[in-house]
Amino acid sequence: MKKDLFSESERLADITKYLRRTFELWGYREVFLPSIEEFNEDLRKGTKFAYNNEFYIIKPDLTSQILTNLKVPRKLKLYYISEVLNGGVKGEWQAGLEFIGGKDTKMQVEVLLAVISSLEALGIEEFYIDVGSLKVWENVLKDIEEFKESVFNALTKRNFEIIERLPINEEKKEELWKLFNFRGRKCTYEKLNRIVEMVDDKRIFIDFGTIRPLPYYSDIIFEVYSPKIGKPLGGGGEYIFKGVSAFGFAFDLNALSKLFDGKIEKSRKKIKGELKEAYKLARALVKLGIPVEVE
Amino acid sequence: MRFVLPKGRLFRDSIEILKKAGIELKSPENRELIVRNGRYELLLARSFDVPVYVEHGVDIGIAGSDVVEERRSDVLIPLELPFGKCRLSLAMLGENLVSVEEMDGFRIATKYPSLARRFFESKGVEVEVIKLHGSIELAPKIGIADAIVDIVETGNTLRANGLVEVEKIMDVSALLLVNRISQKTQFKEINELVLKIKGVIKDGS
Repeated sequence: MKKDLFSESERLADITKYLRRTFELWGYREVFLPSIEEFNEDLRKGTKFAYNNEFYIIKPDLTSQILTNLKVPRKLKLYYISEVLNGGVKGEWQAGLEFIGGKDTKMQVEVLLAVISSLEALGIEEFYIDVGSLKVWENVLKDIEEFKESVFNALTKRNFEIIERLPINEEKKEELWKLFNFRGRKCTYEKLNRIVEMVDDKRIFIDFGTIRPLPYYSDIIFEVYSPKIGKPLGGGGEYIFKGVSAFGFAFDLNALSKLFDGKIEKSRKKIKGELKEAYKLARALVKLGIPVEVE
Repeated sequence: MRFVLPKGRLFRDSIEILKKAGIELKSPENRELIVRNGRYELLLARSFDVPVYVEHGVDIGIAGSDVVEERRSDVLIPLELPFGKCRLSLAMLGENLVSVEEMDGFRIATKYPSLARRFFESKGVEVEVIKLHGSIELAPKIGIADAIVDIVETGNTLRANGLVEVEKIMDVSALLLVNRISQKTQFKEINELVLKIKGVIKDGS
């Protein structure tokens, strides 16, 4: 059993309560998926096992699980809170959103705003969102397609030496170097500019160095982080599902838990006194949406 | 800015290259594990733990590519450094020498279980991997393993123990590691440091 499982559970309960509320306010519905799926190559992560001569996968990555279960794409706004395994028995808790089949830009802006308001609901104000684009890189790499893998490897490691060693001309290297280090609020890619402008938050930046080594993203990708902890709070991006555009993201609940100071609990109304009266008052307050604790 | 450096063979060269790049870190006295020096802080860790510290929030680290690959830590690796050069190899007793393909069912002793497993998986050879923490060369000698996966610098230790290199698994070098988030929050300082170290390497070559 994990050390202090119940205090960890209490923190997760607090955090997910506010995340659920925020996700619902933005129009997302919670999706409940089975813990175990029949093995299928489209399912990512999870832990494989065999039972009755069949292969199964337990607690896979939620985006891949949603897409596997969605036979025909349609407009959907879903959220999930779940543990995800990655080949072992110890998992990571995630909370995420998937906006499938929405309009370009609107989808990205809505998800990014949901990220911002979720963090604010948890009292986390000191964070940044870096947004990048795979298409911008693909455009630059069009005429040096054969080195695409090396350039993405360089980006993932942030190792420009890999690019310097490639047999490409200096002008191209210079162009790649500029993109490698680009960080700002306005760039030459209109789609990104529109997103940043519409989100309109001083904590969002365009950063072309934001590349995650995940194969399924099609263009816009982003990472959320706080200077207070060395690990990302979450991230997400755009993908195409059966010809339909989608945008999703996931929070790492363990990272959020490190930043969450539990301030929300301070607003809980503590009720003392004779039990019958206390519970009567508590019931009335709960009806008004006020959290209570009968002491 | 916080640095984590490995105790052991990479320590001296790590301190030296940072010094040349303008980062003067005081070497620890006695058995200190954290040394503060102005706005820098130096942490000393076991080499295998350096990538883990960097992944979880220490800004900069130096570690061998062997441990970075073994740990598969999510860290940035902006530079390969010009020291800590060696190789990770598969070796076994000279008198029993066989090829990798003939090692099905072998027991492999190593400090690098993940790298060893990945190597044998890539060859389609099924082996049992046992993790040891040191003096790996002993394992085949006393019969608890058929072969070993370990670091080879000159080959002298292998030879002294009657072991022969069967195959090189990877070249190893010291690497500069940067925490993903520090790269964003200290963008300018870290980029400057990387460029300075790059200059030091260039001047030295």
